[in-house]
Amino acid sequence: MIKKNLLLVTLFLSMNIYAQTQRIEVLGMVCAFCAQGIEKSFSSDENIKDVFVNLENYFVVIESRDGKSIDEKYITTIITDAGYDVQKIEIVSDSVSEIREKYGAN
Amino acid sequence: MNKGILFLITLLISHKTVIHAAPMNFKDSVTSMTTISKNYSYLESSYAISSKESFGININENKGDTYKLKAGEFFYLRRLMRVNKINSQTNLWLFTGAGMVNVKKNIKDDDYLYLSPTLQFDYETKRIFSLISQQIMRVGNQNFDTTKIEGGVSFYETTFNETQPWILLKTRKTKTVDSKTEYTPTLRFINKSLFGEVGVNLDGDPSFHLMYTF
Repeated sequence: MIKKNLLLVTLFLSMNIYAQTQRIEVLGMVCAFCAQGIEKSFSSDENIKDVFVNLENYFVVIESRDGKSIDEKYITTIITDAGYDVQKIEIVSDSVSEIREKYGAN
Repeated sequence: MNKGILFLITLLISHKTVIHAAPMNFKDSVTSMTTISKNYSYLESSYAISSKESFGININENKGDTYKLKAGEFFYLRRLMRVNKINSQTNLWLFTGAGMVNVKKNIKDDDYLYLSPTLQFDYETKRIFSLISQQIMRVGNQNFDTTKIEGGVSFYETTFNETQPWILLKTRKTKTVDSKTEYTPTLRFINKSLFGEVGVNLDGDPSFHLMYTF
């Protein structure tokens, strides 16, 4: 039982350590003029390698430069400072460029 | 270029012109905008302390059949309410402007200090936009309150980097100055930092509006 729990914890931790891309569902993101603040803020962060804003499906994906996840509190602050609310943050396996290609945009 | 310097430059060059557009600033951004038309023009620049608050300057000119107003003000903008839904945004804003206005009627010409609040409500989705605003402006014994109502739709949805075209109907009336409500069918184009509008009112007078966020 202990081994099983340890395995689960290790799995969970390794997901967070090695995940590179985070997908943020954003509430209120209805126009590019307003959403540019999100892109500008994430782009100016040297720890973030790539950003993709998807207006059609109301989400933003970011990829860290060092392979570590970006702190969720920090992400929430960026989104809130741009005037929006965060509905959900999750780690996804695709890179930002793969997601960009998948949605055929930009 | 430093945003503070940009803001100061805009302050320096904006000495001869023209109410507030829908505020869409994000924290630490500078937004400058101008509108030019036959009877109404303005120039405005603001700095966003946060997504809830900004301050700036606004210089405007408003002409009617008998009155002509020229005003310059410092304003403070506060977002009183925002409701972010997955596919919509609803806002209530309070602008408070304080400045000096020159009121010219025929050959009479007077300057007044003023304090003018504006309450603005807007609702938008990716395809629908609506706005109503009421400015209270009383100087001397005269009432120069301005009411604006705007509404429109986008032709289609766009991606983040594409230019989105809109068609709107804007209405505007300033008491005492305007003898009738001005109706202006308007085309709007939004491309990230750039926000432009071209309209022609029912009298055939064109108007142009440009907004840019640094």
